[in-house]
Amino acid sequence: MRKTLITLVILVGLSGPAWAETITTTVHGMVCAFCATGIEKTFRKQSEVATVKVDLPKKRVVITTKPGKTLSDEKIKEVVTYSGYKMGDIVRTK
Amino acid sequence: MKTCHQLPLYLVLVSIISLASPVQGKPISYVGGTMVMQENDETGHTLNVDYTFDPHFALGLYSKYEIGGNEFWMAGPQLNTLLKRWNLPDGQGNIFSMTGAGLARQGSRDEPAAWLTLLADYETRRLFFSYEPRFMYARNIEKSVWQRAYAGFAPYLADYEQLNTWLLIRVDHHPAKSDHFVVTPVIRFFYKTIWLEAGYSSNNHVMVNWTVQF
Repeated sequence: MRKTLITLVILVGLSGPAWAETITTTVHGMVCAFCATGIEKTFRKQSEVATVKVDLPKKRVVITTKPGKTLSDEKIKEVVTYSGYKMGDIVRTK
Repeated sequence: MKTCHQLPLYLVLVSIISLASPVQGKPISYVGGTMVMQENDETGHTLNVDYTFDPHFALGLYSKYEIGGNEFWMAGPQLNTLLKRWNLPDGQGNIFSMTGAGLARQGSRDEPAAWLTLLADYETRRLFFSYEPRFMYARNIEKSVWQRAYAGFAPYLADYEQLNTWLLIRVDHHPAKSDHFVVTPVIRFFYKTIWLEAGYSSNNHVMVNWTVQF
């Protein structure tokens, strides 16, 4: 029984993080709802993304990833650039 | 006075679309996005449907029924290009070109036509400015150059999920028309991807433009 529990703990530990990540990125040039919609839709197409929230007054996009998933800084920059804008700072919380 | 059956099919289509969906913005949306833009003012009625296939390019169909003097209809494919964008921390500036070629029809006469519009704009959350020279060539039907400028502000700063309102002044300069300068106070609303503006010009014409992006 003890061995089974230890094995389970090790397996869960090896399977990687199971929590979602919240990523906040500033987007330069995002000044209107039209701009924001394009960015929102492009982020939503990413398989790692669970939710996208636009904070237009602060020119920020808040992305929540699916549990155990993450988006690299390079990927975020790629999405923002592909949408036609410029990425600013990135803040990550778990 | 034209009767209904004399109206070009274009006008009928414009009317149907106007009735079917309530609402101009930038000529390029996001990759995979389709945009329907429609303008009605003292120069005529336009309809533009385009699809953005690249962050810098959108391809579509442009059509205009020109009124106010030389009446004709024109249509053809149009390529919208984002030539340059400045993404600033608190603002955005763009230069676009809209280039098209097709056919112009006046009565029973058809002529090849080509047109080009350049659009430069700058906007912040509070201010908006744009300038666009337009060039049109249709051999014996129309050869014209005219320009348009907008300047305006947002009376309040709306969030993403709220209705955005803008108050603007539009100035058109038509060197070849009797009213060289036409000034139109404009109120513009947009909610996410639905955009509507209306105004009443100094030469007593109602202006209604709208755009829907999906």
